[in-house]
Amino acid sequence: MSELAVEMRNVWKVYPDGTIALRGVDFTVNKGEIHGLLGENGAGKTTLMRILYGEIRPSKGLIKVFGKRVNFKGPWDAVKTGIGMVYQHFSLIPSFTVLENLYLSLTSLKRNISLDYVRKLAEEIMSKVGFDIPLDAKVEDLAIGVQQRVEILKTLMRDARVIILDEPTSVLTPIEVEELFKTLTRLKKLGITIIFISHKLKEVKRVTDRITVLRRGKVVGVVNTKDVNEVDLARMMVGREVFLKLKKTLVSPKESILAIENLWVRDDRGLDAVRGISLILRKGEILGIAGIQGNGQKELAEAIAGLRPVIKGRILLENEDITNLPPYLRYRKGLSYIPDSRSIGLILDLNVVSNSILTRLRDFVGRGTSILWGKAREFAGSLTRRFNVIVESLNTPVKYLSGGNQQKLMVGREVATLPKVIVASEPTHGLDVSATEYIRSLLIKLRDMGVAILLISSDLDEILQLSDRIAVIYEGRIMAIGKPQDFTLEKLGLLMGGVKVE
Amino acid sequence: MSKLGSLLRGWRLSEYLVIIIEVCGSIALGIGIATSLLYVLGFDPGKGMALLLGGGFTDPDYLLSRATFIMMTGLAFSIPLMAGLFNIGGEGQMYVGGLVSLLTAIYTGNLLLALIAGGAAGLALGLFIAALRVYRGVNEVISSIMLNWTLYYLTIYLITNTFYDPLAPHESIKVPLSARLGFISINGFKLHVIFPISLVFILLAYYVLYHTKIGFEIRASGLSPKAAKYASLNPERAMIYAMCLGGFFGGVAGALNVLGFTYYIDTLLTTMYGMGFDGIGVALMGRGHPIGIVFSSIFFSMLIIGGQSMQMALNAPKEVADALSGIIIMALALPYAYRMVLSYLRARRLISRGSY
Amino acid sequence: MEVIESIVDLVFLALTSMVPLLLGATGEIITERSGIVNIGIEGIFLLSALTSTIIDYFTGNLILALLTGILTGMIIGLLHGLISTYLRGDQIVAGVGLNVFAYGISVIALVTIWGTFGNSPSVLTIPKFKIFGHALSPLVPISMVIATTVWYFLYRTGLGLRLRACGEDPKAAEAMGINVLRTRLLATVIGASLAGLGGSYLSIDWVGQFTKEISAGRGFIALANVAFSNWNPLMAILGAFIFGFFDALAIHLSIVSLQPALAYLFKTIPYLGTLAVVSIFFKRTRIPPALGKPYIKE
Repeated sequence: MSELAVEMRNVWKVYPDGTIALRGVDFTVNKGEIHGLLGENGAGKTTLMRILYGEIRPSKGLIKVFGKRVNFKGPWDAVKTGIGMVYQHFSLIPSFTVLENLYLSLTSLKRNISLDYVRKLAEEIMSKVGFDIPLDAKVEDLAIGVQQRVEILKTLMRDARVIILDEPTSVLTPIEVEELFKTLTRLKKLGITIIFISHKLKEVKRVTDRITVLRRGKVVGVVNTKDVNEVDLARMMVGREVFLKLKKTLVSPKESILAIENLWVRDDRGLDAVRGISLILRKGEILGIAGIQGNGQKELAEAIAGLRPVIKGRILLENEDITNLPPYLRYRKGLSYIPDSRSIGLILDLNVVSNSILTRLRDFVGRGTSILWGKAREFAGSLTRRFNVIVESLNTPVKYLSGGNQQKLMVGREVATLPKVIVASEPTHGLDVSATEYIRSLLIKLRDMGVAILLISSDLDEILQLSDRIAVIYEGRIMAIGKPQDFTLEKLGLLMGGVKVE
Repeated sequence: MSKLGSLLRGWRLSEYLVIIIEVCGSIALGIGIATSLLYVLGFDPGKGMALLLGGGFTDPDYLLSRATFIMMTGLAFSIPLMAGLFNIGGEGQMYVGGLVSLLTAIYTGNLLLALIAGGAAGLALGLFIAALRVYRGVNEVISSIMLNWTLYYLTIYLITNTFYDPLAPHESIKVPLSARLGFISINGFKLHVIFPISLVFILLAYYVLYHTKIGFEIRASGLSPKAAKYASLNPERAMIYAMCLGGFFGGVAGALNVLGFTYYIDTLLTTMYGMGFDGIGVALMGRGHPIGIVFSSIFFSMLIIGGQSMQMALNAPKEVADALSGIIIMALALPYAYRMVLSYLRARRLISRGSY
Repeated sequence: MEVIESIVDLVFLALTSMVPLLLGATGEIITERSGIVNIGIEGIFLLSALTSTIIDYFTGNLILALLTGILTGMIIGLLHGLISTYLRGDQIVAGVGLNVFAYGISVIALVTIWGTFGNSPSVLTIPKFKIFGHALSPLVPISMVIATTVWYFLYRTGLGLRLRACGEDPKAAEAMGINVLRTRLLATVIGASLAGLGGSYLSIDWVGQFTKEISAGRGFIALANVAFSNWNPLMAILGAFIFGFFDALAIHLSIVSLQPALAYLFKTIPYLGTLAVVSIFFKRTRIPPALGKPYIKE
């Protein structure tokens, strides 16, 4: 039996508000292997690794690194034990050079070192691993793939023997992904143990030796990579009892109301997030966009709502080109957007009345420019009644409402005027069971009344329950569209993980 | 659900309580330090503080009139603050408002025109500062202070050089009688009309901020630019409007001062000097709300007049009042500290209740 | 010939005037590069000018007076630093309060110590050395040396790198093991001490007495210099000279011109000049990204 690099036994993580992130997870990594950690959003992969890296404390559990029991009080203990972490979002200072960043990260371990020492050490390690990073370039001027190498170099310079990579390929181009895999192979040859967190089935299958699959905080299976195929992995990752409690009447196809033609949209970093998506949304249907968070759904929704510019392509609402219209004009034409974050959809310091009219301000403005607060209060009152929003008074600032009530207010506001098209992004995110059920049945009711709904959700349950058609999004492209019956769970898992299936 | 209700009520009460604690705490701190200051300087702290805090009430008309100007400069600071801008240019806006209204009054003899001109001058200054910020990225703190000093010297120059009263060279030409704001009588009690006028302006500000679309845009953009954009509001436009409003009220402060109280400008600007900065303290203590500003301006006015009477009676420097207000302002910069204490207590309460 | 003489006069006057603008700016560069903004420089100038004058008046010991000014700056820096870091207060408001407070205390002091409302009596000043027939304070070259040293520290040493990291990306800095709050506090204290030195200079080196008008907005011109220099102390030397030149021009013109009233008009030159320079150059500057935002862990 090969020596265990990492051994985590019976790890539990319970948060103060009652959420259970990990339930008795057993996780072992052999020395010198590349171990994949696979699972959907919320499966617990990142939580587990943050515990290993010392960022969070486990509620229960035993952790051993290279045979020695450890009790990390912070990342620094983990680093000293030889664990390095490369996050999805790098902790580099963009305006500093590579050398300066490396220097900064090393000085925390060894106080008195010179820039020259750092340079020499960096060059030594780079030649071993096959990197060629310009040490004097500013980090912000480097390609993301190179920046990631700087992060890896950082960990190596701190004598890491176990490197954890959190969704490393989510920020890379295909060529950079190949380069990364070559790097990982080289690191493995040098005897370094690698933990590879991902939701992308193809990649995990390609580069790992063994895989642990997590689902809802539990280990579903631990396999040797060569013993499984992608279908098996998909089943493990996604398979669950799907409750179809809500009764849905079958829908017959109606005319289209929203058309998206070859849409290209960029994300905040300037990379293409939506790559040529074309969709048709029909009246009285719910089209669910299934996919792991970070594959372009958010940017798609924002482009449709008018909050993000479109690089290429068109958006047509009832055959009218709205691609360049400001949000309020789209709202007036019958489009509604429910954003995925309440800090964008609501102004928390303002009261219920103000938030109720936030997106329809112009409808509550009288002659000239005065706000008709009477009308607004009435509207707010009706919103709280119709959508079960529990408030002490309409003057309460919205920040004092519970998350569920805030969400109901935000959803109710966008839905009350019976728009023609609703784009709903993560509408039940973070809500308790009753609020979730409420909003889901609300969406079905709206659909029955003829509203077209584009539902974006990282919760597969929700997509399966509510959608009349499903489109799977991966890296900014639609992998497949069809009715829920056309997809088996395995197929969905594969598509969400980037594997094209027929 | 009733548990939820009472919890909500508890939180809201504590939110108001926090505001009261903050304001009273800052005042208490200021009073404490001022008292010790007097003691250290060798004056009778008891008598001194009594005069400082009470002296303002001997002449209510003076008290309220004095409050008028800092009420307006208080608006000049608080309205842009709502949009996220620090308008420290209240001084300059007041000077230019006073100057322009004086000149307009001299040349036209028309009161209304002079008042409007003063406000417009302040507005123009505010617009300039806003434009520099939005289009050139110039930080408004720097630009407003530079303009303050520029206008200070410019006004003095114009008064000493061109517009001086030949009979009293240290003063400007007086405002013609036709353009003066006078007095009103309430129950035989004579009051400068500028105070009621300023109350009208406060109501105007309140209306604009809370009952118009542009006011909503200003408040929303300052609280959450992201959400504002989602609501199709424009934070940059909000900044410009807010600075125009703020500048307008700063100019009005100067116009009211010249047309309704002093009827001239003196060559050292003693009647207007410092009121812009006082306005900042007034705005902070009034929590940026127009109604709150009314009360805090009266409070500050009381302090200032009290300082003067303390000086006259005890020969103690009236700048103790300045020091006091400075401390209050600094203490009011600590909202987080209070909130930290409160949320710590709240967390302790939750844990002890066992809802962990 | 006369023109050249005037220009030389102006240059020396500018050199004299630039010292507080340079010291204040250099200190604030340190503070702001760590992420804290201290607009109370004006107040620090006033208070350290006051305290140095007091010590000079009562002891005649110039070194002591100078040190007192620096110490005054340090104490104020400590106060502002605590408010801005550990207490997470609003930095601009605190700075404004500081300025108001400083002004009040100055006049109180004038009244109680010397019984006047305007100026203190004259005090001993730092001896000057003579170049080309003009007197120049030793602090002029010293301030330039200080600025250069600070530049070297900030941009060529590891410690300076760590300080700048706090102003660029405090989360990343913290992740690299830097104690952001402590670093910022230290930066504020050091920056304020330099401003304290600048304030001392005003009273016991240049003017020779303390007046309540002794700063007259110089603290804010120093702030403008920070932005103009793009947070680079070497550029701040140039900037201080330029702004000092405006000041010199104003003084010179009011002496030379025959109309006394015009003096007031000339006095607007430093401020308008600063405004013009800042308006032209501000867009090109790069503000430290984390400036002014309190750092809250998690």
